[in-house]
Amino acid sequence: MDHIPLSFATLASAIAEPAAGGGAELGHLMTRLILQLAVILVASRLGGGLFDRLFKWPRVLGELAAGMLIGPFALGAVPLPGLGPLFSAESGPIPLSPELYGLATLASIVLLFLSGLETDLATLLRYSFVSSIVGIGGIVFSFSLGAMSAVWFGVADGFMDPRALFLGAISTATSVGITARLLSEKRKMGTPEGVTILGGAVIDDVLGIVVLAVVVGMAKAMRGGEQLDWGPIAAIAAKAIGFWAGCIFLGLTLAKRITRVMKMFGSAESIAVLSLGIALLMAGLSEMAGLAMIIGAYIAGLSLSRTDLVNELQERIAGLYSFLVPVFFCVMGMLVDFSSMRGVVVFGLVYSLIAILAKVLGCGLPAWLMDFNLKGALRIGAGMLPRGEVALIIAGVGLSTGVIGPDIFGVSIMMTILTTIIAPVILLKSFDDTSGVKANRKQVGQEVECIKLDFPTMDIAEFLMTRIRKAFRNEEFFVHRLHADLGTYQIRKDDMVFTLIQDDRSIVMNADKHYQHIARLILLEEILSLQDLLDSVKQMKSPDSMGSELLAGLFGGD
Amino acid sequence: MNLKKALTKDTISLDIKSSSKEEVIEEMIDILVSAGKIKDRKSALNVVIEREKKMSTGMQNGIAIPHGKTDTVETLVAALGVKSEGIDFDSIDGKPSTIFIMTISPANRTGPHIQFLAEISRLLNDPATRQKVLTAQSKEEVVDTLQL
Repeated sequence: MDHIPLSFATLASAIAEPAAGGGAELGHLMTRLILQLAVILVASRLGGGLFDRLFKWPRVLGELAAGMLIGPFALGAVPLPGLGPLFSAESGPIPLSPELYGLATLASIVLLFLSGLETDLATLLRYSFVSSIVGIGGIVFSFSLGAMSAVWFGVADGFMDPRALFLGAISTATSVGITARLLSEKRKMGTPEGVTILGGAVIDDVLGIVVLAVVVGMAKAMRGGEQLDWGPIAAIAAKAIGFWAGCIFLGLTLAKRITRVMKMFGSAESIAVLSLGIALLMAGLSEMAGLAMIIGAYIAGLSLSRTDLVNELQERIAGLYSFLVPVFFCVMGMLVDFSSMRGVVVFGLVYSLIAILAKVLGCGLPAWLMDFNLKGALRIGAGMLPRGEVALIIAGVGLSTGVIGPDIFGVSIMMTILTTIIAPVILLKSFDDTSGVKANRKQVGQEVECIKLDFPTMDIAEFLMTRIRKAFRNEEFFVHRLHADLGTYQIRKDDMVFTLIQDDRSIVMNADKHYQHIARLILLEEILSLQDLLDSVKQMKSPDSMGSELLAGLFGGD
Repeated sequence: MNLKKALTKDTISLDIKSSSKEEVIEEMIDILVSAGKIKDRKSALNVVIEREKKMSTGMQNGIAIPHGKTDTVETLVAALGVKSEGIDFDSIDGKPSTIFIMTISPANRTGPHIQFLAEISRLLNDPATRQKVLTAQSKEEVVDTLQL
């Protein structure tokens, strides 16, 4: 009978021990993760700020550099008292803990969800032809030259080798954020080149993700490293494109219904949380379908981008974005293994140079053949050449799936950094006041009606801007500030999109010709309402007597 | 935008009797009163006249859009009137006005009020649509033409 209690005791301790041991291990893991996050947040913020202030370079580069510095291949490997190395290089394709890499994956989903939300399909359709050709030219040149450079340097065995395909895909995606910031600072956003770059970048985003979908699908099928026949390649491509097109179609068709249901939850916070849930669900489904998670996240964003909730969502997700995205870039920097890059530095430089030339030629050449002169073509090529988050995400996917090694990952980071540094230099030099459009061509983007109102003083223009924004809100439009320092607003409802800009004493409204009558009538009513305001001002007490009342007794002391 | 809810057969008149701008406005207000859409006739009339004083709502090609905002209505109410001979409505192009669209909307509630006017004006900007409304034999025909 003694056996029984003994057995129970043995069993109980057998259960308890691993649990207690596991609990301690888990606690240790979590402590390490929290400390890692703390260091990452501070380092990325400092790195970003330093690069911005010292070199006027994008913060992203500072965040990447901070990651390289604190990562497992640099300071992170230095043992700390009582803790050991904070970022010890783990075995496996990703030299970081799965928990930390999981956070970076979540960040990449949020990033691409927001990128999808920001994709302006209306712009894509409006400036379709020239922008489409520019975007497609950039993609074809970048992908083929990127993949071919891998073959030339012996990094890949052939064009269809997964490593070559990944290097092609990494070189494909433009990150137009830096260009957009420069263009708006220089007030060149509305120029034909600016419009074409922004339109081309949309095509680039959409097609770039399709390229990624196909490449990831193929890479997953070719895990063993063997090359596939054309039959299976075609099947994978068809599946990837089919999933992509099907989800986009379903997303755009159902988006309005889904948002109607979400609006029943009332608060904007609830809507944002639900939308993020949809993005994560789509990301998971996309991965299960054999594609990358970011593809699903991008599709979720793109589907919701056509609804009137888009600006609310962008604003709500922005907080999460500003916290997670520096973590993402910092983690990407941490993955760079310097020792593995010794043999590929020359290849990295050539690959970067090819990436630059591919966009300048791929986007510039079609632009030059159509509406633009050489200067305009160069501006467009330079505007399209920075690579950023999507290149890094693709490189991360390649590294985590073992398709590319740490050396090629390092090369990708090198290319991203170099293109991001060089693009603003060329852009700023090329944008002077001369026209970039061929003399015999019409301006592109003329389907947009520009309504300009001039006022006697800037004060009145400012006052009217506030009134006009309120008037549109009263008509149930969403008003969203585009650039904090430029006074540019986007006003939208369903598929109507207007831009409202204050330029000194003038107010400019850009409206699609089809909807300009709505913009014009709302503007007219607001200007006429000034009359009521003037009448009420006349009924006010005279400023003199109001002034006397305000100051009465203020200086009356003896 | 749901034009159907705001403009119904009982607020359409194909036979406007009045022959001056002020009379047309009153007649249109009366249509809305008879249809039970307006309770406070005086205040509705007042806001439309006040709006006309700032700038005439006589647009181009015979279209006029007298309107106003008052809290005496709960939602947007609208009426459409036709007078094929036309009357002088101080229009922008100086031509007599033949089709009148009146809206009264709540002053302190959000909604696509101006958008409604803009949408219907855009529909009537098409000469063929305008002609169909002008020669319509029944209110149903107007409703069909404007695809309400």
